[in-house]
Amino acid sequence: MSRVRSQKAELVIERLGKKLNRQIVGSLVACVHCGMCTDACHYVLANPDDPSYAPAAKADKLRKLFKRHYDWTGRVIPWWVGAKSIFTDEELEDLKDTVFGKCTNCRRCSINCPMGVDFATYNRMTRGLLVSVGIMPEGVAVVSKDQWEIGNQMGVLTEDYLDTLEWMGEEMQEELDDETAIIPIDKEDADIVYTINPREVKYDPRTISDAGKIFHVAGANWTMPSEGWDMTNFGLFSGDDALGGSVAARVYDKLQEIRGKKLVISECGHGYRSTRCEGPNWAGMDIGFEMESSVITMLNFIKEGKIQVDKTRNTTPVTFHDSCNNARSCGLFEEPRELLKLVVTDFTEMYPNRAENYCCTGGGGAMSMSEYTPQRLKSGIVKANQLKDTGAKIVVTSCHNCVDGLNDVIKHYKLGMEVTQLVNLVANALVIPEKKVVPVVEVAEAVVEEAIAEEAVEAEEIKKELVLTGRKILIVDDEPDIRTFFGAVLEDNGAIILEAGDGDQAIEIANSEKPDLITLDLSMPGKDGGKVFEALRSNPETERLKICIITGRPELRKLIYDQELSKPEGYLDKPVDEDTLVLNVRKILELS
Amino acid sequence: MPLSKKINNSTLSLIKGDLTDLDIEAFVFYAESHLKLGAGFGNAITMRGGVEIKKELDTHEPIEVSEAIITGAGLLKANYIIHANGPKYSEENTESKYEATLKNSLKCAEEKGIKKIAYPPMGTGFYAIPPPYCAQTMVKIFSDYLEGETTIEEITICAMDTREYEPFKPHFTD
Repeated sequence: MSRVRSQKAELVIERLGKKLNRQIVGSLVACVHCGMCTDACHYVLANPDDPSYAPAAKADKLRKLFKRHYDWTGRVIPWWVGAKSIFTDEELEDLKDTVFGKCTNCRRCSINCPMGVDFATYNRMTRGLLVSVGIMPEGVAVVSKDQWEIGNQMGVLTEDYLDTLEWMGEEMQEELDDETAIIPIDKEDADIVYTINPREVKYDPRTISDAGKIFHVAGANWTMPSEGWDMTNFGLFSGDDALGGSVAARVYDKLQEIRGKKLVISECGHGYRSTRCEGPNWAGMDIGFEMESSVITMLNFIKEGKIQVDKTRNTTPVTFHDSCNNARSCGLFEEPRELLKLVVTDFTEMYPNRAENYCCTGGGGAMSMSEYTPQRLKSGIVKANQLKDTGAKIVVTSCHNCVDGLNDVIKHYKLGMEVTQLVNLVANALVIPEKKVVPVVEVAEAVVEEAIAEEAVEAEEIKKELVLTGRKILIVDDEPDIRTFFGAVLEDNGAIILEAGDGDQAIEIANSEKPDLITLDLSMPGKDGGKVFEALRSNPETERLKICIITGRPELRKLIYDQELSKPEGYLDKPVDEDTLVLNVRKILELS
Repeated sequence: MPLSKKINNSTLSLIKGDLTDLDIEAFVFYAESHLKLGAGFGNAITMRGGVEIKKELDTHEPIEVSEAIITGAGLLKANYIIHANGPKYSEENTESKYEATLKNSLKCAEEKGIKKIAYPPMGTGFYAIPPPYCAQTMVKIFSDYLEGETTIEEITICAMDTREYEPFKPHFTD
């Protein structure tokens, strides 16, 4: 008796046939199960006793389907070639756990396969087949829907994006003491149209003002688009080519509308690969303009003498992590090193590196799937060992997903390192040209300089006084040291500090004091941060209080983000430095 | 410049824009059975419209595919949101369910006395309704509806980008 197949299983089989091309079929038939891929995979290295992580074993889950339905060997000798069909939605769910949960699509196995099997490519294709019938991790659904319907994968509204740019423009003006230092929006005929990752708007706006400073000092004719500004593309991660094409087209269309000459993509491996390398194919567009990574733009600014840098401002020992998408898939690995060596004094190479580097565990989107966090972090032992062996204090990377992936690994394995990007180092090393002052007499000049210096000190003091003056902030954390540190930093900037050492106390104080902002730890004995968040958001009295999650336990994010409640206004990873804390608190208070 | 055509005493228009930020009497949200707002447009509705919309939705029972209900729109510029539960990911009988969803959402608007309503290209992104099919079906259902007796004066189709806009264009220019 023939088994009944679910409608979703039918569709997956039918659509698999439409996806088969020479590259995919070559990969599906060429595997000889030699095992070379196993040594290349960080999941296997971290789980040596679990054969289900071997790339060849993962690939067999799709290969059996291909053999059964699309290869003559599967029809003639199915028992010999392992051909097997799929019938139920449960089997599709199991396939989902493999293709999303046991592989980051880093492609390290692909370049180490002697037969040329590109497992990552058809792992992505399998993801796409599952997504097309609605089978995907919840986090993937959320991010995909945000990118489809809001236009960026973090659901940043246009008004919030534009407000952030305006605010960062003001920061630039203050830092450069130059009123002309602005972030131009939708300027027509610009030489550079700068596109970014929404993570920069939401969690790391300093990278925007750092890039802006560099463009401004270089005298670039540049702009940022008001829409089509998200150069990341979740279609790359989810395997949804339609989403890939739609997102890429929004970026290209906007550049063409404002007649930009070159698209510059901020540091993001996922964004670089999807916008520069894959996007034109997904969108079916002929691209008549240049596209480059901001790494190359910054490097050229230095080479062409448009900016000067002083590497002695970055003396902490650093190492460099190659993003899989940048290095393995797009060949971008020498330029970042060349730039890095120009802006730091102490660089140590990580081994292996370049195209052979190990994945940060971020996988260009893996952090959206909280259900797989434990196994992802377990696989991070490989990266942790690599990082530890360098002896560096800072790991530099040109990818926002890698920043988050590396931060997770560093915290989980207690490595005590910082993560930063090239744009931050270049901005820190940037030599700001002095303003031209016409000297009348030397004595007068000295007096003027002294007066200017005094004014600057006063201005700085006033600024510090004002940034958080009168703001009531509740710090919720079970660690007294953290409360003391956050409290001191925020109080120094004018805030009125309230403290709670556990969840019950936090809810009580929030109800009675209605603070302007709550910084909320997740891991606390008794009522954890997730329960506190739920209690606050569910109470009409406190539901609109602004909350910034600050946690050192990334695996606990699901306590917040899996809830059907409006999202927290901010999120920070511990450890948090003073500048980051103040900047993010200001952003929430001033813009949210 | 919006494209539009007159049908009886009503207007059917096509614009590019941001659905949840439109200054219009009501717009349609492609909902799920459980009526949770979730991500995407739902996220924008929550962020711009506040918590009142969710609270009102919490008082409703889940709805079947093709059904539609109406709620207030909180702090949004619109006054109402019609939550229409359309078919998803090529589920069985997608076409008949899709047409019924459009008709039920119009009926829902009509019953509330709404005169101006906006639609996104229904389900064309995340839920994988093919854009050409969506354009053809929406224009046909709306045109047929406006040909009949109705108090609806204006239906606006609000596309987000070129991918969504282009398949509708021939229906307004030919």
